[in-house]
Amino acid sequence: MTPRHLLVAAIAMASILSCFAASRGLDAPPAPPAPGKDAPAPAFTKDLVPFLKTHCYTCHGNGKNRGELTLDKFNDEAAIQKNPKVWETVLQRVRNGEMPPKEKPRPTAAEIDSALKSLDAVLAKVDCTGTRNAGRVTLHRLNRAEYNNTIRDLVGVDFKPAADFTNDDVGYGFDNIGDVLSLSPLLLEKYLAAAESVLDQTIVIADTPKPTKNRLGGIRFSRGAGESRQGLGSVLFAKGDLFAESFCEEGEYVIRVEAFGLPVGDEPVRATVKVGDTTKEFEIKATQAEPASLELNVNLKAQTNRVTVSFLNPFTDPKIEDKAKKDRLLVVRGIVVDGPYNAPPPKLPESHRRLMAHKADLEPREAARAIVERFATRALRRPVKAAEVERFLKLYDKSEKSGERFEYRVRLAVCCVLVSPHFLFRVELDPPDAKAGTAYPINEYELASRLSYFFWSSMPDDELFALAAKGELRKDLEAQVKRMLKDLKSSAFVQNFAGQWLTLRKLANVNPDPKVFPNFDEDLRAAMYRETELFFDVILREDRSILDFLDADFSFVNERLAKHYGIEGVKGKEFRRVKLPDNRGGILTQASILTLTSNSTRTAPVKRGKWVLDQVLNTPPPPPPPDVPNLPLDKELTGSLRQVMEQHRVNPLCASCHQRMDPIGFAFENFDAIGAWREKDGKFAIDASGVLPDGKAFNGPAELKAILKDKKDLFSRCLAEKLLTYALGRGLEHYDRCAVDKVLVALDKNDYRFSTLLVETVKSEPFQMRTATGKKP
Amino acid sequence: MTNGGRISRRTVLRGAGALVALPFLEAMLPRSTATAKAEVPRRMAFLYVPIGAHMANWTPKEEGADYELTPTLESLAPFQKDVLVLSGLACDKARPNGDGAGDHARAGGAWLTGCQPRKTAGANFQAGASVDQMAANRLGDQTRLPSVELGIERYRGTGNCDSGYSCVYEHTVAWRSPTSPLPTEVNPKLVFERLFSARPNDPDRVKRNELRASVLDTVLEDARGLEKQLGGADKEKLDQYLSCVRELELRIARAEKLPPVQPPEGTVKPQIVPADYQEHCRLMCDLLVLAFQTDVTRIGTFMLAREGSDIQYRTLGISEGHHECTHHRGKKELIEKVCKINKFHVEQFAYLVGKLNAIPEGDGTLLDSCMIAYGSGIEDGSMHSHTSLPMLLAGKGGGSLKTGRHLRYPKETPVTNLWLAMLDRMGARTEKLGDSTGILEGLS
Repeated sequence: MTPRHLLVAAIAMASILSCFAASRGLDAPPAPPAPGKDAPAPAFTKDLVPFLKTHCYTCHGNGKNRGELTLDKFNDEAAIQKNPKVWETVLQRVRNGEMPPKEKPRPTAAEIDSALKSLDAVLAKVDCTGTRNAGRVTLHRLNRAEYNNTIRDLVGVDFKPAADFTNDDVGYGFDNIGDVLSLSPLLLEKYLAAAESVLDQTIVIADTPKPTKNRLGGIRFSRGAGESRQGLGSVLFAKGDLFAESFCEEGEYVIRVEAFGLPVGDEPVRATVKVGDTTKEFEIKATQAEPASLELNVNLKAQTNRVTVSFLNPFTDPKIEDKAKKDRLLVVRGIVVDGPYNAPPPKLPESHRRLMAHKADLEPREAARAIVERFATRALRRPVKAAEVERFLKLYDKSEKSGERFEYRVRLAVCCVLVSPHFLFRVELDPPDAKAGTAYPINEYELASRLSYFFWSSMPDDELFALAAKGELRKDLEAQVKRMLKDLKSSAFVQNFAGQWLTLRKLANVNPDPKVFPNFDEDLRAAMYRETELFFDVILREDRSILDFLDADFSFVNERLAKHYGIEGVKGKEFRRVKLPDNRGGILTQASILTLTSNSTRTAPVKRGKWVLDQVLNTPPPPPPPDVPNLPLDKELTGSLRQVMEQHRVNPLCASCHQRMDPIGFAFENFDAIGAWREKDGKFAIDASGVLPDGKAFNGPAELKAILKDKKDLFSRCLAEKLLTYALGRGLEHYDRCAVDKVLVALDKNDYRFSTLLVETVKSEPFQMRTATGKKP
Repeated sequence: MTNGGRISRRTVLRGAGALVALPFLEAMLPRSTATAKAEVPRRMAFLYVPIGAHMANWTPKEEGADYELTPTLESLAPFQKDVLVLSGLACDKARPNGDGAGDHARAGGAWLTGCQPRKTAGANFQAGASVDQMAANRLGDQTRLPSVELGIERYRGTGNCDSGYSCVYEHTVAWRSPTSPLPTEVNPKLVFERLFSARPNDPDRVKRNELRASVLDTVLEDARGLEKQLGGADKEKLDQYLSCVRELELRIARAEKLPPVQPPEGTVKPQIVPADYQEHCRLMCDLLVLAFQTDVTRIGTFMLAREGSDIQYRTLGISEGHHECTHHRGKKELIEKVCKINKFHVEQFAYLVGKLNAIPEGDGTLLDSCMIAYGSGIEDGSMHSHTSLPMLLAGKGGGSLKTGRHLRYPKETPVTNLWLAMLDRMGARTEKLGDSTGILEGLS
């Protein structure tokens, strides 16, 4: 296969819009190599202008201005490049078949392809040498994951308070897009309640417990030892115990047992009182008229403690006739637990001690200021001004006047921080001297936040803050990226980026029909999910080539998944790395992806094909036209799924797009709707061969993957674009093309290593800079 | 799907049962109605079903009062006298109008707004203020909550939802302003706590409200300082924050005047999100009834599923997703499934109507004061058409609606005209809503 062939293949596949809107697609991406280096100069005047003349100028030219659009005033490439928005719309409309309108003569597919190819090439020639637009990320509200993680890192306890928040909306394929993250009164109310509940649990308001005299109820007896008698008390008459229990705080206690004896025989009543390990013996001479107080001093731990009174010398005088008087008795009138004395101050949670720490000799107001300043600096992710701290302390002052205690007052001030827009939004401000429309480097604190929310979905840590404070973060970027990825918090990147790029989260909603797939259960669903996460994780951690996503020969399985794949010798729930059989490799043959692109009862080759075009090549097929007519049903469609679908494709309206999707999907027909290998679909043998629109033929997933791997430029561009979208939290614009091109050049030079992709993304202008709006106070 | 401990299905059912079999007590009447019987408030709700309906099984043949219910509408038989079937209403702004594919997203965004949702995957999304929020804006200060937004699906998917449109258009029909969509609450427990406060009988309520108001004061000041430094889209986002703070302040102030309403005796707080669709749906209906009955709010929206939903209604014996079924390409078997789903959804509506009708109020029932609209922004999912939407309206609107009829309106009558008619009857007369051309006639 010559490079030329590859190029053509890429062109044919890359049929349509990417997240760059129209700014690319038909032609091979210009980097690497640089635009136009290998490809012949686009025949702008030869291909595009005649097309426009025939199909567009009738309404949008020749003096006509339908829809306020005049196209014939753009008479050279430069004019088009100056107005990319207009021409991206043109490109999109023609591609989607919306223009020219239905009633006008239709251009042939070949005419459209060639015209769009030249238009795209013109648009792709973005001048990357001059000053560029670095774009702007819209004021970005923390999404649910970011809120949970930020609270965790801020107060040191993993509360997950966002569990009950309303859903974050999704734009450009991700849920961290500033433009789309809205705020509703309901959500603000939840933020307020979350702040209150987080602080209730982190800043503890507790006093050293004060001593109380607690008379215990619920006195019980060991079997046969005694009973409770009306008017007398708790009576022991045989060898045995009575006892009562009470929860005590830690501290010193005096236990008082009020008791007297009814002596019979020549001995006085003897008893022990026992609490914990302390036992004391008493001789009880006291009488009913004047009961004794048996006292025991003990140190108790904070737990439920038992007071046991044991009767040591029961005696029955056989000489006494009167049944009521012949037994020696020990009578307990009551048990009082008096304490705790010298109790230690209450144990405060770690979170409390950290948040409330301050120098010992400060006045309360000063201490509060120190606490709030330190907290706000971390929460707002930048140094705070004295006036800001004072504002947060207003409520502290107000509640001091109403007599609230210190911890409570501080809590209120901190609550204001947690509901402040500076906390709930990631604020980036234009410097006062920034000129409207020009790009400036964001400050180091803003950079620290961009990095931490990119890799951790959370706030910066102390090291990032310290570097930002010294102005040394930019210098240390590569080392910091590596450090951040090593941190456990980077699992958020796998969950949130991989979970959305690979649309893995959809797996949770998939419900294979139990009648058709009795093997499918929650364990298998979880195993599928885990496999893909672990696979992504290892490519990241081992800094492998991103091309391994397409065809690595290893993966991770546990017993359940191994069985599903037909791999022998794997036992237990633990996942381990295995070499895959020849029929699997890379994400495309993982059960997770194969399942989430299937229908509940059968495979859906169209969905699988579309998934590859969307997530792997970033060349989504155009949406179906709004008014697809129903197929005539005079003859019932029969045969295998492939035959049925081929009958559908007879309709030329459908064919142009389905020719792109269906063959890719059919390559995976050997995998059923939950990703298990099969040789037959019902009674039909599997035919996994196909021909791409460019004429390239393949048989089975391995051959298709080889074709895809040859399209590594498209794949790496796709991944780079999705990564940059996620990193920035905004959709990409045509001017971001230069940045992506630069990332791709570096990637090509470094064996497509994942770390290069990440570091270059972080170094890119859109990540490092921001374009000022010019709206000044 | 559950939150917290495991609770058996039986317990949940009992919980739901307590909600549904409410004994009527005079004391339960909202205060406004108990004190001034003549002033029974009017209520409005909008129930959204996705992807339209198979209209051949929906639209009655006859017009006027003497019409026969179609198979899809069968479950409305007990309430036929209390319902209007409205044919011919259109949702023009759900059509491409030059924007290409994306009928699902547009239908969700346009149904209650009458505005063409802006085609964007994120940046600068925009629809219009929706009818429920226009009413809430005008009347919301009379009740503890201006409105409630309920839903069933907590969407966990990813990617673009529909042909280049942001997911937001499919996930809600309620818009406070053209750029402020209101998310739906899907957890019955959280809805209950919102209606009746998470801590009823809380002795510290007044104090907490005061504190919350003070916190909001502080952050409002904070936000105003920030606002001065922002421009463009940032400023819009902050404005949204500011208006939410103000709304919350108002709500707290109202809470002082209108203390929390106690749920009727015997009501059990729901604890989990039922796994079964119908159970979940009915619980949400119960909560809507409770909200109206206790006069916590008079305005609500409820999405029985998000637009473009692909829920699999297994209990109906359907293993394909809803959306998948609607692209039936004329296949009989799939059309039957679509009809089954349509019918099933109408049954949930009938359940709600039945509940409202079972609660006496004044001289009649709670239903008499209500206007419950039910419908979709799509006519027929297989064609993605928007011309004659499946639309129902239940309740007598406080005597302002002559129900029990099937009305057919001239082609291209905007559905927003119906919304104007409802606003008018709520006492929030509005001259224009999106593409409306006037108040819909013929309803009284």
